Amino acid sequence: MKTLVNFIFIIALALNSFGQAKKPTIMVVPSDRLCISKGFSQTFDNQGTQETLPDYKKALQNDGDLRLVISKMSGMMADRGFPLKDLEQELKNLAQEAAESNMMTSSSSGSAISESPIDILKRTAKADIIMDLDFEIKRQGPNKYIVFTLNGLDAYTSKNVASASGAGQPSSAATPEILLEEAVLSYMDEFNGRLMTHFQDMFTNGREVKVMIKTFANAGISLEDDYDISGNTDMLSMHIEDWMANNTQGGRFNLSDGTANFMRFEQVRIATEIERNGKMRAQDTRMFVNELSKYLRTNCQIESKVYLRGLGEAWLIVGEK
Amino acid sequence: MKKVTQILSLMMAIFFLVSSMGNAQSKNKVRKMEYNSKYNYEVATIAVGVDGTKLVKVWGYGPKPEEAIRHAKELAIACAIFRGFPPASNGAAAKTPPIVTDDSVIEKYAEFFDNFFAPGGKYLQYVNLSTDAPPTGEDRVKVNKKTYKVGVVLSIAFDELRKDLEKEGIARRLDAGF
Repeated sequence: MKTLVNFIFIIALALNSFGQAKKPTIMVVPSDRLCISKGFSQTFDNQGTQETLPDYKKALQNDGDLRLVISKMSGMMADRGFPLKDLEQELKNLAQEAAESNMMTSSSSGSAISESPIDILKRTAKADIIMDLDFEIKRQGPNKYIVFTLNGLDAYTSKNVASASGAGQPSSAATPEILLEEAVLSYMDEFNGRLMTHFQDMFTNGREVKVMIKTFANAGISLEDDYDISGNTDMLSMHIEDWMANNTQGGRFNLSDGTANFMRFEQVRIATEIERNGKMRAQDTRMFVNELSKYLRTNCQIESKVYLRGLGEAWLIVGEK
Repeated sequence: MKKVTQILSLMMAIFFLVSSMGNAQSKNKVRKMEYNSKYNYEVATIAVGVDGTKLVKVWGYGPKPEEAIRHAKELAIACAIFRGFPPASNGAAAKTPPIVTDDSVIEKYAEFFDNFFAPGGKYLQYVNLSTDAPPTGEDRVKVNKKTYKVGVVLSIAFDELRKDLEKEGIARRLDAGF
């Protein structure tokens, strides 16, 4: 009897540890408007056009109010089981990583670390959900009040998955710090309520992701080329579309654009878990696209490269590895 | 002829009396149903406090003001769990969503909630009265001979309530499933 109980316990533990979706990372990022209006920005000449971009490092080093709001939000999110990625720390880590990568050499041959231009480009602060934060302390006669906006943006689908905004109660006595703290306390429950709805939708209908199909120029493959799969001769793009229909949750996806060289699939719903090597594992977009790569290799003898852009976006570049 | 007119007048008077009594009875019935309705929450948010507390004004009903206060406390906690609080009209607080979003938990955990909301039940742990004396003036209304309606300002330990319901498995955690 004891053995049986132990066995059930181990099985339950195994199911619990493997049957879970990948947890998205969340980071608070000050909005472009907030940074630019406070002068935390960089302007550069982009081929004759003056472009202004936010300077996050400068903003985090100089704006005490911003640090207060981020700190308060981080505490509340950690309390709800979602410790936030800290933008300031992430920027410091990236700078340190870049310095170490440049200095690192092999002890035997003195070789440097191999790094492609893409690897360097990918060295940026990123998260799966960005909490785009904006606030402004306004005045109305002797009173001060806060206008607060918080948008939860899915980094891959660019959808606003949760939001909370409004103007606080005017006060002549409260300091701006107190007003800001009140605003965070006031809006975070509403924001988290919407985030919860987004997660529940994800577990019910699958994770919404983006998939791009591209072609290598040297491979000489067009998505309009005909291939025969199980006696069905059709364009490669149609075979890919058929595969998407068969492998997405509820057959839900949207081919939003495409030519002979690329296909853009949006609102692709993929299962949060997948069986792999006899175990249920959390699935991300890379694993999903990898299955399409295997399908094309087996049925059309086409090699392809799976390129990961994050938890919610991956590219399949057809023609070569 | 005079006698006939008298009888007719008497009949008319009885008819109006009976119909007005019926109306009053049905009005009382509707009022009773409203008092007992699980959807009837008369709640206004006043402010948010530190450490996850919410300051709300709740209206409760009862045969005595003390009973109405007890009812208001019960309603405030039920509202936090099942309906959430509306935003404050002066901008002092945004909308608070309910702790439990799945309606089926009411039936699934009926025994838990019966004990939770029993007189002297655990729900009292999450509610603090911000005023000591029974309300007076416009916050104390005598609805009819048997019922008082009172408005009280309560401080609700919202985060604590949410965490305890999450521990019991009744409320879903934000990170559940990951």
